[in-house]
Amino acid sequence: MVEPGTASGAPSGSATSNAGPTVGSTEGSILTTNQWRDDPPAVEVVGITKRYGQVSACDSVDLVFHRGQIHGVLGENGAGKSTLMKILIGLVVPDAGQVIIDGKPSVITDPIDAAEKGIGMVHQHFSVVNALTVWENVALGDQMRLNPEAIRDEIGDLSRHYGLDIEPNAVVGTLTAGLRQRVEIIKCLRRSPRTVILDEPTSVLSPGESEILFEGLRRAVEDEGMAIALVSHKLDEILGATDLVTIMRRGKVVAHQKTSDSDAAGLARAMVGRPVALRSEREVPSSETDSPKRRPTKPKQEHASLEIDSVHANGDDGRVLLDGLDLKVYRGEIVGLAGVEGNGQRPLADLLSSLMSLASGSVRVDGKPIACGRAGAMAKAGISVIPEDRHDSGCVLEMSVAENLFLADPNLVARRGILDHRKMTYRAERLIERFAISCEGPDAPMWSLSGGNQQRVVLAREMAHHPRVLVAAQPTRGLDVGAIEYMSEQLRQAAAAGVAVLLISTELDEILDLASRLVVLSKGRIVGEMSREAVDIERLGLMMGGAVP
Amino acid sequence: MTDVLGSDPIDGAAKEVAAARGRHLVLGEIVTLYALSVLVALFLSGLLVSLTGGSARDVFSALLDGSILRPGRWGLTLGSAAPMLLVALGTIINSKAGLVNIGQEGQLLIGAAFAAFVGTRLGGETTGSVAGFAVLLTLLLAGGLGGALWAAIAGALRFWRGVPEVLSTLLMVTIAANAVGYGLKKDWLLLAPAEGRSNRNQVSEQLADAVRVKRITVFGNEFPLTVLLAIALAVVVTFALSRTVPGFRLRMLGQNAKTAQRAGVDSTRYGMAAMALSGAFAGLAGGIMLAGGDFGNYQLVPGFSVSIGWTGLLVALVAREKASAAVLVAFLFAALRTGSGFLAATGVERKITGVVQALLVLALLIPPAVLYIRQRRRALNASKERI
Repeated sequence: MVEPGTASGAPSGSATSNAGPTVGSTEGSILTTNQWRDDPPAVEVVGITKRYGQVSACDSVDLVFHRGQIHGVLGENGAGKSTLMKILIGLVVPDAGQVIIDGKPSVITDPIDAAEKGIGMVHQHFSVVNALTVWENVALGDQMRLNPEAIRDEIGDLSRHYGLDIEPNAVVGTLTAGLRQRVEIIKCLRRSPRTVILDEPTSVLSPGESEILFEGLRRAVEDEGMAIALVSHKLDEILGATDLVTIMRRGKVVAHQKTSDSDAAGLARAMVGRPVALRSEREVPSSETDSPKRRPTKPKQEHASLEIDSVHANGDDGRVLLDGLDLKVYRGEIVGLAGVEGNGQRPLADLLSSLMSLASGSVRVDGKPIACGRAGAMAKAGISVIPEDRHDSGCVLEMSVAENLFLADPNLVARRGILDHRKMTYRAERLIERFAISCEGPDAPMWSLSGGNQQRVVLAREMAHHPRVLVAAQPTRGLDVGAIEYMSEQLRQAAAAGVAVLLISTELDEILDLASRLVVLSKGRIVGEMSREAVDIERLGLMMGGAVP
Repeated sequence: MTDVLGSDPIDGAAKEVAAARGRHLVLGEIVTLYALSVLVALFLSGLLVSLTGGSARDVFSALLDGSILRPGRWGLTLGSAAPMLLVALGTIINSKAGLVNIGQEGQLLIGAAFAAFVGTRLGGETTGSVAGFAVLLTLLLAGGLGGALWAAIAGALRFWRGVPEVLSTLLMVTIAANAVGYGLKKDWLLLAPAEGRSNRNQVSEQLADAVRVKRITVFGNEFPLTVLLAIALAVVVTFALSRTVPGFRLRMLGQNAKTAQRAGVDSTRYGMAAMALSGAFAGLAGGIMLAGGDFGNYQLVPGFSVSIGWTGLLVALVAREKASAAVLVAFLFAALRTGSGFLAATGVERKITGVVQALLVLALLIPPAVLYIRQRRRALNASKERI
């Protein structure tokens, strides 16, 4: 960290690049000798409480993050993990309790202050500037004169050291979500934090990328005595990557244990407060374990509910997004669209959300062609979409829950163009009850809901329209076990009710669990198809990698 | 403030009481802050007056006399407030749709020009009250149409060519002023016939008596009936934005364009409509200025818009996109305007009211930011005390 008034304007990284990033701002050299093992805990929170109105986001939370450990914080959406972490980086000020950093009671006033105190965070939702390059993003917030060469070198050093390969000159907007997250991580590591908070870091990563990330983190923890808080609701990840695990439920710490003493079922139970059927337990890829009812076979029909016929689409920059994609989804089946992220999943979801027009090709619902790209055309034709990024195209955060439930068809709760507030409230209340949305009421602003509940609002709205086709894009991304179970059940029920369900997911487990038929997307086209019963994981993997034509 | 919530567990009733007390404290703080902020603005204004050799007390009482206290003055103030309010209502509409229109001054002028053209051509010799009223309605509609068309040009540039509407609306103010100036030079457009005007004056014909807005007198205060129209429109706009389906869709577009597109809100259609409507309100303001009698002599002159468009924009800004608040703010700003007429006697330049107005705008914009900072600092201090 450059001290104010230091004569040299060069960023600190260039000075330390040979030794790799040092840990600690003032006495970094000590730490290389593992002396940190005797240090007081990196961060300790005592009795932290934060209330929003009647709801306690955190309720007397006690937690200790030690140096040299990866500490998992596990909990459902809305359990208070995010609030706790926001308190640690100074975004939220607690109502009660205190934070002790390196043995010293401290008040964290804002993220800059947190960084100075050695706490860095990698957020789940990126805060990068898409129009800028990687190194420019990393240098944002730097003071005094920029030295692009030094920053690029520094990025190179960091990426080699932690195994986070990235091209410093790439424009961030063109990168995949996984790479954009790397930019965030590098931004954080560059400040040489002693405590790093990772909020759902793998929700956008492929399994391979996650593994690399965790290897890098493990190195930072063991060599440099970093303390890492891994906020997650993925059990596998917690089990695989952490040393300790703290489980939160409804703002309280309900369990605290060594990871080596934990198992998935126990963690899930503690997190949800009841036993859950884990997907991993059902994961056996053979059809015998699954009841035939759950996997309806393809019904014979003249028309597919959804017919996508050799669609081509290009991005604004001329990149080919969809390249002759053909896809049919029939009534009552769940088609899983597998593929590595960035192969056309998003454009396809955009297309079916009326957000994109085509260069050529057609989309039909029940045989009727639809005007692609015209506002609301897909929704009107009976295509409901649970979008990948609900904040982007799924809901309006500034509006109330009730308003969000009737975005697409306000005329349902209006008479002659005038909204009937009572009717709206009444119907919203029924939906809130039916989909078990936890909120203060129909008039609560959407932003006041937790991520999982926002997702339920989206689901409720999309299902309330009695769709012909339901497109679920990464529907469980960022959700916890209980919410995943719920969402999965909803998709099954939709299919059982005759809806054609298209499940776009980069999580193979999810597809294997739900889909009756799998298609593989690669480079904007469908490269293969197989039924669930005849699934061949190896071939699937090859197809996803673009290896099988 | 002691930390109520962080102390030992207290029972529910006590918590309620604490929360209620907290609410009162917060409300008191808000009121105090606004009052303080306005007082500081007034103090600075007074200081400025003193520095330029005037007496703050005289200026203040002159402003008050000129805007409200003296006989007939609040009627004038109402008359000035009406077009400001209309401009503000239009601004609220485009802001809700997520569009920034800052060219109301030009839209207003074009509206006034359209109104003048229609009013003088159709109503030249009109005498009957029914016929006159019909012409009046037509000229007001023409004013709205003129403003709408002018704003729609910026809208079209925005939606079909990607030109930022902030720039285009602003720059088109200058074009509007010059276009109207041109119209006032040509007798086939707006220029009055040579007889009945002194040679060099570039003014339009006066509106015939029958096509002017009726003025009513209440307690010795005279104002045009269009004041009531403006207030009625404030109610309509509030209702339309919050309770109708198109208003709902407009807000959706403003807050999340992608979600709106998915839900069937065509951004071009709704955006154009919002832009045109916004311009229509400004144009209508121009129309009622022309036919209302508070701004000049029922005729169009160069510089006719006298910054009412800019002031209306400020009204919307201060009112935070709330039509009900805009009614009050418009009256306040209009009072500064009419009050300034009485400043001559105090020997202070009447443009000082412009400075006062700007200071007031700042004074009303600052408290929310201060509130936020204070709340945060309080929470921080509370946690510092716990250490």
